[in-house]
Amino acid sequence: MKPNFIQKVTNWGNFPIVEKEMRSEDSFRKIKDFVLDHNEVIARGNGRCYGDASLGEHIFSTKKLNKFISFDRLNGVIECESGVLLSEVLEISVPQGYFLYVTPGTKFVSVGGAIASDVHGKNHHAEGCFSEYVIEFTLMNERGEIIKCSREENSDKFWATIGGMGLTGIILTIKFKLKNIESAYIRQESIKAENLDEIFRLFEESESWTYTVAWIDCLQKGKDIGRSILMRGEHAFQHELPQNLTKNPLRLKKKLEPTVPFYFPNFVLNSLTVKIFNWLYYKKQSKKEVKSFIDYETFFYPLDAVNEWNKIYGKSGFIQYQMVIPKETGREGMKKILETIANSGNGSFLAVLKLFGKNNPQAYNSFPFEGYTLALDFKVNSKLKKLVAQLDEIVQEFGGRIYLTKDSMSKSSLTNYLKNIQNPKFVSLQHKRIINNN
Amino acid sequence: MIVLGSTSEVAQAFIEKALQEGEKFERIYLFTSNKETTERFARHIDVKFLQQSKVIELDLTKEIDYNKFDSINSNLLFCATGYLGEGTEEGLYDNKNTERIIDINYSKLVPVMNYFAQKFESRRSGTIIGLSSVAGDRGRQSNFIYGSAKAAFTAYLSGLRNYLFDKKVHVLTIKPGFMATKMTEGLPLNPKLTATPKQAAACIYKAYKKQKNTAYVLPVWGIIMMIIRNIPEFIFKKLKL
Ligand SMILES: Cc1cc2nc3c(=O)[nH]c(=O)nc-3n(C[C@H](O)[C@H](O)[C@H](O)COP(=O)(O)OP(=O)(O)OC[C@H]3O[C@@H](n4cnc5c(N)ncnc54)[C@H](O)[C@@H]3O)c2cc1C
Repeated sequence: MKPNFIQKVTNWGNFPIVEKEMRSEDSFRKIKDFVLDHNEVIARGNGRCYGDASLGEHIFSTKKLNKFISFDRLNGVIECESGVLLSEVLEISVPQGYFLYVTPGTKFVSVGGAIASDVHGKNHHAEGCFSEYVIEFTLMNERGEIIKCSREENSDKFWATIGGMGLTGIILTIKFKLKNIESAYIRQESIKAENLDEIFRLFEESESWTYTVAWIDCLQKGKDIGRSILMRGEHAFQHELPQNLTKNPLRLKKKLEPTVPFYFPNFVLNSLTVKIFNWLYYKKQSKKEVKSFIDYETFFYPLDAVNEWNKIYGKSGFIQYQMVIPKETGREGMKKILETIANSGNGSFLAVLKLFGKNNPQAYNSFPFEGYTLALDFKVNSKLKKLVAQLDEIVQEFGGRIYLTKDSMSKSSLTNYLKNIQNPKFVSLQHKRIINNN
Repeated sequence: MIVLGSTSEVAQAFIEKALQEGEKFERIYLFTSNKETTERFARHIDVKFLQQSKVIELDLTKEIDYNKFDSINSNLLFCATGYLGEGTEEGLYDNKNTERIIDINYSKLVPVMNYFAQKFESRRSGTIIGLSSVAGDRGRQSNFIYGSAKAAFTAYLSGLRNYLFDKKVHVLTIKPGFMATKMTEGLPLNPKLTATPKQAAACIYKAYKKQKNTAYVLPVWGIIMMIIRNIPEFIFKKLKL
């Protein structure tokens, strides 16, 4: 058997699935050979983007770039290779009293992927994107050279790479800052909102909270449209913690991690089951407002509690549709979007609403800008293309755009917003799709 | 802990597993033919576990200066050294390939193992873990040069176990089966029969703690190899395995 490295590769949404060359190396010299020997290379982290962003003709997986380089425990500065997962960073940093400044809704993304998508969390309005806390990184360029990028050194490459979706080269190592925490717990308040007006009001009232996010029941129509639960949180100080948590405030107990054993058959997720799920979720909280202390995993990564939950969507896969609409027109836009979804009958199991704060103009390739963002999961089926096209029209009308790391079928006028990334060496299937306008 | 073949992902995963389980080592001696990547691993375990280690170059294809290893002592030796080389079709009549496979998997490796075994013997304690291969269980046409070297290595470990038994040193033979590592990357392996380095490390750690003599990483390989070993030769020789 001669290795050919051709394999089936797909990202978190299991759509699309391609058969391409994928390799992983831990030696920088061999990575250089790989880059020089191939046209159309793209880096891939942990495949937690939903669509085709980290797929390409020749995929370089950073799976083996998984080593830590240094950890300044005094100042909370950590340096590691790009394939290290955020979960691995937390494993060593939380017991030392440090947390990630910015984390997406899953901890199973690589730090390289976090830069390439310049991920945001529930604190964008307060603390911005992941890149704000990046001190420097090294990048392998099209000539196989390793260049150091920071705000001072090669700053053009630094900013192009942030949110640049792997199109500027392969990020090899990263140095970034962590934030101090006193406990591994979050002081949380969750508040029910009857409709869109109320949830928008709650968001604006909660601007002083570090973390805010809302879960929306997106099958509601009419006056109930936007029925939702807002969750807001702060890292708990030690003195606030309830007695039972004060003994080991920086350590969490080991939890069971169930795994979805196989792809669910297609009939399992339909508009009825989604409706029931959403109803249960909303009704679970009987009071208008609940205050509690919960561990950081439950607060930030509720979905990670079930391994491979993406299999629930069946073999045909699913997409995530995430857009941002400017603040001024955001409410009206969101309303239209939710109406369109409710009318389509194509329910979303998971719909998350957030208010983004001001963007960093230097990070011109980052997705977020001030406004409302909604992320929706949709099962891939025959009706989906039409729904996406309808939603795209609305996003366009309201001056919004689509998050590339979730995109796999939106129209290119909403996705073609990256700058300074033209480089024939590093090309993803997504980028080809976008520039070919199909 | 002494590690031979420290760039091996299984060896690295085993070290991490042991440290996670709270094992303490005064120092880990990382023998390697690739200093660059091993030094990165050494830093990694220092950051993650505050574990001291020392990287030592060892190229089995060259003359070895044992004097340099004088001061090295430990209670655990993990040997993951291995070299797959070219399979039969490409590499059978290439003497360089044949020699390299036999050298790295057996003939040049065994003296190094013996050197450390002697230290263990004189201390009358410790465990030696050797990664052999299911390929050594029976010679198959696809890669029997590698298989024969591993067969010899398996026999060596078995004899060493026997010899060191009453000297209070334990020897564990691991037969990994398919593993998703550098050695097999790009090969179309059946995922049900393939272990990740992490899985392998967990199995090996368990076998080490239980003082097993030999262990397959995935239990299914025990069954597969039992069948393969028991196929009568007059049938086996006609099979395309
Ligand atoms: C359950 C879930 C929740 C999520 N929640 C959020 C959220 O709240 N906020 C948010 O912003 N995102 C969120 N995401 C998306 C996720 O954070 C991003 O897609 C992230 O980039 C994935 O990282 P990865 O390591 O898996 O990279 P991949 O998915 O493998 O790749 C993503 C992109 O990064 C590039 N890339 C990866 N590694 C490198 C590298 N070393 N050098 C150069 N380019 C590289 C790839 O080319 C690709 O363009 C979520 C995803 C999931 C599955």
